Amino acid sequence: MKRTTKTTKIRSAIAVSLLALVLGAVPARAATPLETVRAEVNKVLEVLRNKSLKEEVKREKLRALYGEMFDQEELSKWSLGRNWNKLSESQRREFLPLFQQVLEKTYGDRILAYSDERIVFDKEVPISGNRVEVQTRAITKSKEIPMHYRVFKDKSGKWKCYDVVVENVSLVMNYRSQFNEILAKNDAEELLNILRKKVKDQKS
Amino acid sequence: MMRLLRALVLFALLLTGCAHGLPAASAPGPPSEAPVTAVASYAQIAQPEPLPLAAQEGGAAGTAEGAADEGAGEDDFDDGMEEVPAAEQVTIADPWEPFNRAMFTFNDRLYFWVLKPVAEGYSAVVPEPARVSVGNFFSNLRSPIRFVNCLLQAQFIGAATELFRFMLNSTIGLAGLFDPAGGEEIGLLRQDEDFGQTLGSYGVGQGFYIVWPFLGPSSPRDTLGMIGDYFSYPISYLDPWYAWLAVRGYQAVNDTSLQIGDYEAIKEAALDPYISIRNAYIQYRQKKVEERGTIGKPKPDVPGAGTPARGVGP
Repeated sequence: MKRTTKTTKIRSAIAVSLLALVLGAVPARAATPLETVRAEVNKVLEVLRNKSLKEEVKREKLRALYGEMFDQEELSKWSLGRNWNKLSESQRREFLPLFQQVLEKTYGDRILAYSDERIVFDKEVPISGNRVEVQTRAITKSKEIPMHYRVFKDKSGKWKCYDVVVENVSLVMNYRSQFNEILAKNDAEELLNILRKKVKDQKS
Repeated sequence: MMRLLRALVLFALLLTGCAHGLPAASAPGPPSEAPVTAVASYAQIAQPEPLPLAAQEGGAAGTAEGAADEGAGEDDFDDGMEEVPAAEQVTIADPWEPFNRAMFTFNDRLYFWVLKPVAEGYSAVVPEPARVSVGNFFSNLRSPIRFVNCLLQAQFIGAATELFRFMLNSTIGLAGLFDPAGGEEIGLLRQDEDFGQTLGSYGVGQGFYIVWPFLGPSSPRDTLGMIGDYFSYPISYLDPWYAWLAVRGYQAVNDTSLQIGDYEAIKEAALDPYISIRNAYIQYRQKKVEERGTIGKPKPDVPGAGTPARGVGP
């Protein structure tokens, strides 16, 4: 009799700890793509609207949020298309941060300049497999512009952006057209040179 | 003859033609009605502004593979990345590239040396709400273009929407200065249809890329489209010709004043601005043709909804 109770106790202890393990590892319900994008975009807006922050600090925070929201490697792969294979392992390692800096400078400036927008999160549309498009609109006093975030589920199960489609124009496809053009006539090293130069020019 | 001459002069003076809802991107500027947002919108640059000269090339179209080898190609990554949907890989032939690049440079200078300074001076004097209203006014006058093209595409709901918009905005919207029809309560959104899209919906391909001086990115199809739209835009019938020219010039300046900075941002982001804008133009126009259908109010926050926001096709 005693023995049974003890076994039961042990069993339930194991059950409880297993449950805790499971609960701890996986949230009760995984966030949907739309919820994920909404939460991240709202964090960006929060930073932009915080008037007490210096621009430097804002940039720093936005960079961190970009890393949370976007998968730079996936975005780079989509931007390079089949040319991804033309880059060696070390060239890829250099490409990722360079490309990120180009994007950061351009879109960072742009984003910091505006903050009176309201973002409406419309819906999510499956693209294929584990890819989903989250459709939003940025609304200002007089205008509105559709902005669609394309996300995929990364290895850890988090939805990450790999493309933004602004008014029907896909960012990665636009860069792909440029990378194709450059790599049709030059090798990967030259592409890196162009990126290095771009980053340098942007800094000056 | 007179009309042709007039058309040529006009084209030559007006940057942002915009026979349709959004202002053209002639040189560089994106359309006024499209927002200046955090992220510069390429699409705005992609507005077609065709010119008559190219009309005869209309038939030569055909979706040739881009001379530039743009975007085409499979994405067989070694690490198992899935293929990019074919529809995404939009390409356009560019046999006139040397000419086009020269025109691109011309339009670029025109923007920085003429249009932008003028528009900045104008902005300094006229407050933004007034400029937005002027934009609305011209947009309202372009209603016939959108109405006719909805009809030509058998989008009867779209045509009715445009008709009601025109009636409402011309009256309670004070001759089009305001857009009450598009407001939250009424929700009749502008249906951006133009003749280039109508031709596209009939199966006419873009053909090849053309950059017209003053008018910006185009193609034989969209050039033909622009000529068609010219005739359904009331301003085109202004007499004498210089009145018309003045109005179109003013329209271009007003449009530009609402989008200063967008073109600059697109150039800044690009490694090759010419290629970037060419690609944005074809992506944008392709999507416009594909999503033809009545533009309704998207329902916010419907997680998992599987239908595209706009595509209630006929």
